[in-house]
Amino acid sequence: MLGIIIGISSVIILMSVGASAQNFILGQVKSIGSNLVFVIPGATKGSRFQSPPSVQGIVIKTLIKEDLDALLHEPSILSAAAEVRGQAKAVYENNDTTATFSGTTETYFSVREFNVVRGQPFYAQDVVGLNHVAVLGEKIADTLFGDKDPIGKTFRFKNLAFRVVGILEKKGIGPGGVDQDNLVLIPITVAQKQMLGIDHYNFVTVQANPEYTLEFVKSRINSVIRQNHRITDPDKDDFTIQTLDDAVAILSTITGVMTLFLTAIAMISLLVGGIGIMNIMLVSVIERTKEIGLRKAVGATRTDIIRQFLIESMILTLFGGLIGIALGAAVVTLIYFGVTTFADPTYSFELPMSAIILAFVVSSLTGLVFGIYPAYKASQKSPIEALRYE
Amino acid sequence: MIRLESVSKVYTDGGETVALDSVSFTIEKGEFVSIMGPSGSGKSTLLHILSFMDTPTSGKYIFAGVNVQDLDQNDFAHMRNERMGFVFQAFNLLGRQTVYQNVELPLMYNEIRQSERSARIERAIHEVGLDDKTHAEASTLSGGQKQRVAIARALVCNPDIIFADEPTGNLDSKSGAQVMSILAGLNRSGHTVILVTHEKSTASFANRLIQVKDGRIESDTRIQSIQEVNELIK
Repeated sequence: MLGIIIGISSVIILMSVGASAQNFILGQVKSIGSNLVFVIPGATKGSRFQSPPSVQGIVIKTLIKEDLDALLHEPSILSAAAEVRGQAKAVYENNDTTATFSGTTETYFSVREFNVVRGQPFYAQDVVGLNHVAVLGEKIADTLFGDKDPIGKTFRFKNLAFRVVGILEKKGIGPGGVDQDNLVLIPITVAQKQMLGIDHYNFVTVQANPEYTLEFVKSRINSVIRQNHRITDPDKDDFTIQTLDDAVAILSTITGVMTLFLTAIAMISLLVGGIGIMNIMLVSVIERTKEIGLRKAVGATRTDIIRQFLIESMILTLFGGLIGIALGAAVVTLIYFGVTTFADPTYSFELPMSAIILAFVVSSLTGLVFGIYPAYKASQKSPIEALRYE
Repeated sequence: MIRLESVSKVYTDGGETVALDSVSFTIEKGEFVSIMGPSGSGKSTLLHILSFMDTPTSGKYIFAGVNVQDLDQNDFAHMRNERMGFVFQAFNLLGRQTVYQNVELPLMYNEIRQSERSARIERAIHEVGLDDKTHAEASTLSGGQKQRVAIARALVCNPDIIFADEPTGNLDSKSGAQVMSILAGLNRSGHTVILVTHEKSTASFANRLIQVKDGRIESDTRIQSIQEVNELIK
């Protein structure tokens, strides 16, 4: 019984945590913005689950300013933002920290829905003029400036002086685990030329014109970049196009497999529990030998005896399953309170109905499967021998 | 109702034991038959074969015009349920269940409508005079009361035959006499009663005495009083 309780509660907990994690990850991906298409340098070969080489850390320099300019002239594209990323030490007075920066274009704020809550974003002239201006995430602003108002203040970032022009609204953890509130946004030209010493982009985010389908926009991006890169054979593409739907599908598959894997582990405890139930039922068959004999004497057929013991073992496991569901739900609630109190108040947990239904089905099936042998043993007893049993 | 023709039963576990050796007799509907004999004489085996709990090794058993050889285990179960009632020496009640639930047991394997069940159970309990114990737990009853519950359970499906295996073996003489009076009353109301016993006083309630020895019928006599039983068994 304990095995069934632990097994079922594990199924409930793992499915709930799995579903919540899936929702969390997908929520983060969807929070990037709508109607977005990502252009990533390097081609993805084979499965769509394989990452482009640039994502795996290989430097590919094929995505450049001419590509962005061409994309911005495409009617099916509403806007596009290029981005390069790096890390550097940020210092203000006695405070310092290592921060991730995003060198980007002025379009980034609208494309990625990064709203500036204090001050202002940077503009095209800042990008063209290589101005040392920065928009900070809420957390890094706190780390560097504490109670002081950061707007207009200058901090040192990789030994360059940057003036803070704006503070971003709180965004939380972004896809890939990047804390978006710890991000420093600076003009892409400054990041490329003065901080990283590169001419290429890490990737370009395209905001599709809602008047066109995403598929059409993807095909247009393909054409534009192939033309720019003088590629005639699609097999020789040196870039990858991904939409949020692709990312969501990939992440859903990954988190789904993860949940399935964890559930399979929980099933092992159910198997152990099932064997326990079988032993209980076998002992019960021996203890109730006289009763079986009596039932057969007064007219129970073998089928009646099998049915009775199967029902009893199913009731036993269903009862264990109910306790397991209650225990699992209690643990999930505790985890929920723990996470929302001590980590992320916006984190939402869910106890999927499918988990409860699965727990019910699995616990009764466990009773059924592991009750068959004891029930069969009971049905085979001769009424005379069973009645004589002491 | 019952006809045995040269029925034998041989057990082969650990050597050959002849429990019944070419037994033949007929029992008519409404008879009250006592089967007596010393331990190991084969009387219990005979009762088991008559009640479909065991099968003969050879010979023919005709029950209500049906050759028992033509029946399978499911038929035996249905016959035991619908046409036979059982009273055991050890009562064999479900101790944690009430009198009502114990009497209900055979009906669980019967197709009698739910609405009719309660009436049948209450009638059976009434017949053995335990109306006030209907909802008492079986384990709290005295030996005599337990055996009366067992008789009510045997009655509830309104069987043709009641088999009683040493029904007074675990009872004091007063309770034993009470139980036997009930069985005699049931016989008078048309039920065939076949009982196995060691006790002459118990056997004397029957109107026929079959004596078994070494697996054979030693005597098969009509009786009317205990004196006759005493004469037969000295």
